[in-house]
Amino acid sequence: MDELVATMTPILWHVVRAYGHDRQAAEDVIQATWLGFVRLHRTIEDPQAVASWLITSARRGAAAHARAARRATPVQDETLHAVLPDAESAEASAVRDDEAARLWGAVASVDERCRKLLRVVAFMDRPDYQSISQDLDMPVGSIGPTRARCLAKVRTALMKGGER
Amino acid sequence: MTDEDAALLEELRDMWMTYDPPPPGLVATMIAAVAAADLDAEWEMLTLVRDSRDEPAAQVRGLATSRILYFTAAEGWSLDAELDEGQVRGQLLDFDGDLGAVEVVVETTDGQSWTTRLDEVGFFALVAEPTGSVRFTVRDGDRSVTSRWIDL
Repeated sequence: MDELVATMTPILWHVVRAYGHDRQAAEDVIQATWLGFVRLHRTIEDPQAVASWLITSARRGAAAHARAARRATPVQDETLHAVLPDAESAEASAVRDDEAARLWGAVASVDERCRKLLRVVAFMDRPDYQSISQDLDMPVGSIGPTRARCLAKVRTALMKGGER
Repeated sequence: MTDEDAALLEELRDMWMTYDPPPPGLVATMIAAVAAADLDAEWEMLTLVRDSRDEPAAQVRGLATSRILYFTAAEGWSLDAELDEGQVRGQLLDFDGDLGAVEVVVETTDGQSWTTRLDEVGFFALVAEPTGSVRFTVRDGDRSVTSRWIDL
């Protein structure tokens, strides 16, 4: 069990952070995901299904938390909220790694939906398009093409930002 | 997905891992949370529903030396236990399984422990005089459920 927690927690981190939560909120969502898993894990028999269950549950928790946060602070700029912590950390590390910082800048410049989709998909071995489509409100069939379009946007932003 | 797209996605994954890694203590925190939740889940599985100490009528009748505890498990069965004069006796009721395979464990916080099997109708009796706090575990093969600690 400890091994599973050690393997999956970093992946859940990226999935939940894709929804723009600050660190504390992300931690809360991840903890709730694990507690939900403890309550139910006797019924999840297929080990392959466990990872998928955890990621789906974390995404739903993250989406629900985002909706609750929006209700609580209706004037908050969701996009700004999503970008700020990342932008700060990109700035801080720009000195260390120019190439990655350019990539970060390019990702920050694309729309939030693209950013969210790319980050979730990047950390899923076998993306569950059905539930992603529900979360992001996209038809299942459009996720593959949307992912390609989002990657193209990142590439374009990279080219605008300098040679590549 | 084209190779080009796969490569860019891979670069993005590395970037997120480098620039927004999980906080250093996150894994340890989650391991602790899961371990604690596991314990809670076990506790809740054998729930104390009646305690003679909370029933003044028993004391009036002069039964103050004996203590009767009644637990239920989520699966629907229950455990009756009576602690009296160096003995712990009781019965497992409505248990859906092989009574002969069941073990009852009585433990105290100071590390004493007594284990016994049930007879064919679910009764058990132990020569034991636990003091301090006590808890009961009912074990059936590799499944076990435990009560919380109860002050004597």
